[in-house]
Amino acid sequence: MSNSIPHNSYLDPQGNRKGILGWLLTTDHKRIGILYLICIMIFFLVGAILGGFMRLELAKPGQQIMEAQTYNGLFTVHGIIMIFMVVIPGLSAVFGNFFLPIMIGAKDVSFPKLNLLSWYIYVLGSIVAILSQFSGDGPPDTGWTFYAPYSMETTTNVIMAVVAAFILGFSSILTGLNFIVTIHRLRAKGMTWFKMPLFPWSLYATAWIQVLATPIVGITLLMVIAERTLRIGFFDPTLGGDPILFQHLFWIYSHPAVYIMILPAMGVITEIIPTFCQRKVFGYQAIVLSSLAIAGVGYLVWGHHMFTSGMSDLSRLVFSLLTFIVAIPSAIKVFNWIATMYKGSIEIRTPFLYTLSFIFQFMIGGLTGLVLGSLATDVHVHDTYFVVAHFHYIVFGGMGFAFFAAIHYWYPKMFGRMYNEKLGNIAWAILFSGFTLLYFPMFVLGMRGMPRRYFDYLPEYSTGHLISSIGAAVLIFGIFLMVYNLFRGLKTGAIAPANPWKGRTLEWTIASPPPLENFDEEPVIDAGPYDYE
Amino acid sequence: MYQGASNFAQGVDNTFMFIFAISIFFLVVLTATMIWFVIKYNRKKHPNPTQIKDSLKLEVTWTVIPLILVLAMFYYGYVIYKPMRNAPDDAIPIKVVGRMWDWTFEYPNGKMARELVVPLDKPIKLVMNSADVIHSLYIPAFRIKEDLVPGQETYMWFIPTIQDTFEILCAEYCGLRHAFMTSKAIVIPESDYETWLITEGQGKDEHPGLLVLQNNACMSCHSMDGSKLVGPSFKGLFNARRTIVVDKQEIQITVDGEYIKKSILDPDSEIVKGYAPKLMRSYKDVISEEELDQIVDYFIKEGPI
Amino acid sequence: MDNQTSAITEHRDDTGAKLGMWIFIFTELLLFGGLFLVYAVFRAKYSQDFHIAAFQLNVFMGALNTAILLISSMTVAMSVTAIQKNDKRLALLLLSITLALAGAFLFNKYLEWGGKIHHQLYPGSDVVMSLKHGQILFFGLYYFMTGLHALHIVIGMILLMYIAYSVAKGKTNQSNYVLLENGGLYWHLVDLIWIFLFPLLYLIT
Ligand code: HEA
Ligand code: HEA
Ligand code: CUA
Ligand SMILES: [Cu+2]
Repeated sequence: MSNSIPHNSYLDPQGNRKGILGWLLTTDHKRIGILYLICIMIFFLVGAILGGFMRLELAKPGQQIMEAQTYNGLFTVHGIIMIFMVVIPGLSAVFGNFFLPIMIGAKDVSFPKLNLLSWYIYVLGSIVAILSQFSGDGPPDTGWTFYAPYSMETTTNVIMAVVAAFILGFSSILTGLNFIVTIHRLRAKGMTWFKMPLFPWSLYATAWIQVLATPIVGITLLMVIAERTLRIGFFDPTLGGDPILFQHLFWIYSHPAVYIMILPAMGVITEIIPTFCQRKVFGYQAIVLSSLAIAGVGYLVWGHHMFTSGMSDLSRLVFSLLTFIVAIPSAIKVFNWIATMYKGSIEIRTPFLYTLSFIFQFMIGGLTGLVLGSLATDVHVHDTYFVVAHFHYIVFGGMGFAFFAAIHYWYPKMFGRMYNEKLGNIAWAILFSGFTLLYFPMFVLGMRGMPRRYFDYLPEYSTGHLISSIGAAVLIFGIFLMVYNLFRGLKTGAIAPANPWKGRTLEWTIASPPPLENFDEEPVIDAGPYDYE
Repeated sequence: MYQGASNFAQGVDNTFMFIFAISIFFLVVLTATMIWFVIKYNRKKHPNPTQIKDSLKLEVTWTVIPLILVLAMFYYGYVIYKPMRNAPDDAIPIKVVGRMWDWTFEYPNGKMARELVVPLDKPIKLVMNSADVIHSLYIPAFRIKEDLVPGQETYMWFIPTIQDTFEILCAEYCGLRHAFMTSKAIVIPESDYETWLITEGQGKDEHPGLLVLQNNACMSCHSMDGSKLVGPSFKGLFNARRTIVVDKQEIQITVDGEYIKKSILDPDSEIVKGYAPKLMRSYKDVISEEELDQIVDYFIKEGPI
Repeated sequence: MDNQTSAITEHRDDTGAKLGMWIFIFTELLLFGGLFLVYAVFRAKYSQDFHIAAFQLNVFMGALNTAILLISSMTVAMSVTAIQKNDKRLALLLLSITLALAGAFLFNKYLEWGGKIHHQLYPGSDVVMSLKHGQILFFGLYYFMTGLHALHIVIGMILLMYIAYSVAKGKTNQSNYVLLENGGLYWHLVDLIWIFLFPLLYLIT
């Protein structure tokens, strides 16, 4: 389409509400997606800056720029922000909201008002989380895991942080519920389950985890609050409670939660690869089934966070076995992604670069997960920087890079303009090298016995920490450059065509940016989602 | 990784090598394939993609092979791990108590120590408990780690195989001075160990009050050299002038025996100006009346100056 | 049938709305499920103490409240039937009875808790603290579980009041009563949870 600015885009002022109110009171899934995008970008930067301060402190042994208590608060808040406010909502709330209805040919999600409410709940939870920093007796210092009994005894502002996590969980449940109903009820005519694109599929699996796992952490957090305020003693051994019970309840949610983070990321990657290879996805059904398998088996492995906790030897054995089983569906996906590139016609653009580095980093993160899943080796590296490296590789290198891939891939669709390709590639190169410098040394540190959550460390670990801190400095440049490029594109980017990458899924059949109603007439589906010829 | 110094180190290191070998193989092969495809099927050279049909055979292959491999990893890890949970009956039991933020080790004959002294080539069983929150005793050189859980007894065992001194670290986050909750594992020949065990060691010429302070980890929050840790320093404590806050009123006092005892039994009632309340718990029922007198006596007679 | 929905009016999908409600109810069950798990763990560990502590509860009050909730579940179901028959007045009457019963439930709960608190049986009290570990936990669970359930009663009442308003206004009517149906579903959930709580806390000894 040569027509440059399509009339009636969702970005234009709508109805009788102009300006900011038109956004804050919108029920349009696309606008809500953008609202989430703004919040999550901001929180990501806040969390990242906290991470940067941590790296400054850790650059050399001894005290550098802060007190131990400040450091303990920092990694707690860094963890809470990154996990509960950035990566758990991350892809599904931003791109799921924006593209799920479009990709299944619907006008909106099933419950648009509930969708907006979820966003408000999310914002409320985030505000409480941030307030927990500045009120009460100092920022919480328990780590994002809130382990009892320390979380019952510390005098810092734990209750507020817990309340925040509870509220954020509520928002997550409502979003999941909304997506499940949307996928069940609103698929376009002719779009059978197995003609649905794979990003919606991954959102579907994710949504079930959100709905089924989050209530458990909800009740656990409520119990923490009750215990701190009323001295009920569920987790307090001096009153007969059991601190290990807390760990079980926490990880029953928080392990599935890691799949809440990674499944949508895998979905995004599965959209991008066929587009840039101009090839049908290899093993569509295998990918669908592996998403469901991850969601299912992912419930049964929580105990692998507790191999040294004092739980029974039999449970250690069973959880280790199941942990290895849950790795298989991820492996299947990796093989299918690479097979999709075979004999494709591959164009290397910024989103594809992020995709390639996603696969690489995800493999490293996942394979080191196997080291953690094995009993003999986990005993040595549990609660060391090896774990820190594992999850940054998978959460940041995986979910984070998938987010960056997604924002570049769908940028033209969302904003109707192109980002600068060259700047995008340079930012990617800096990000990738900074990332490796920052996190790879942590594997070595962990193998050598550097425990995590350490404000200070023995001199023998200083080389690794120094390299890591330098990596953080490199990484920040990449991030700023990427963000700058994205902002610049909003004003000065070239006008984007409807289908810049020649994608096949439904979002590429409509104008960029999408019109208010998504589709002029309801689409009817008669082919698979990735049928190139 | 560095020197392994226990009977488990070799097995654990082999497991690492086994998993790493398979992982690196897959990482390298898959990454290389990916890059090769990206170069070979670049759009400039390969403008027309070929559509390939799904293949059930391939899917099954790359499900079953990794499955076998991970089961092998599981099995290997388990076989190596299993002996770690079965301490031999003749292992020397040593009681470990972790508390914020210090360790105490109690030997079968009742001797207490702040460092873990063990005989070379003898099985040792650590029977562990925590006095407050969860800690985790970690000796990297021995490749062992287990949490100390309040209200519950946990254990681990090992045979030290190299005569040297090794780091003991706390691996479970336990609050302010978690990073400083360290100690040493000292491996000595068995004969030296026997003599060490029966000599009163530190205890002999030290003041009993000082031992009480040490056994309760007081010095992890109160320095002996005047530096400010979590609580006020012990340096020059007796007869010192202090400004304390009672009910928001500042009062000048001179430290005496009564004040010291009260600060141990009811720490929050009188806080030295500049320090936060609710950080120290009460040691009522933990430190006996007699021990309190010993502590006071220690500060009067020889406390750090 | 509802394909003629225009752009501005919201897409109406009763099946979807009910599906959503079912999923939500499922999450609520899981929320309490976590508590039942904790209950099971401690019951297994301290069966003797639980046995003794359970004697302190008033089975009559519990049974009365069970009956009240069962009846209220019935009246809410009848009110759905009434609206299907387009009998607005009956529907409203039945809703009001439901609300009144809910109020009675809460009043009973107030008496029950009040009695316990009067006897110094509340979490953290000196009396409770001097009990055995299992008994402390039993009372902790008792207050936590029934308290959370009471909170659900209150939420349910607010929901039913809103629905009654909607019925009165005619927005919920014979051809569009999914809101009432969903409210009824929620009320059944609240009832169902009590059906679990009652034997676990009052009866099993
Ligand atoms: C998105 C998040 C995410 C994901 C997807 C994963 C995925 C996995 N994780 Fe990880 N994990 C975390 C986030 C995540 N993790 C976090 C945040 C923590 C720390 C929490 C805390 O304590 O603060 C953690 C901690 C953690 C532990 C506890 C460590 C400890 O504290 O001692 C363990 C132990 O088993 C583990 C294992 C695994 C495994 C086996 C996988 C598997 O699913 C990985 C599967 C992937 C692959 C296997 C790679 C791809 C496949 C191939 C390249 C083909 C070849 C494959 C084979 C031969 C099998 N993780
Ligand atoms: C999405 C998840 C996510 C992401 C993206 C990150 C990103 C980063 N994280 Fe991480 N992290 C977690 C999730 C995440 N983190 C979690 C869950 C924990 C566990 C917490 C716990 O133990 O409870 C953790 C813990 C954790 C630790 C371990 C702390 C400890 O155990 O003691 C460290 C240490 O280096 C760290 C560092 C970083 C850094 C440097 C970044 C960076 O990559 C971010 C990129 C940003 C920069 C590189 C910014 C650079 C800024 C500066 C240099 C400062 C300059 C300042 C100004 C200009 C104001 N994080
Ligand atoms: Cu003790 Cu950390
Ligand atoms: Cu996990």
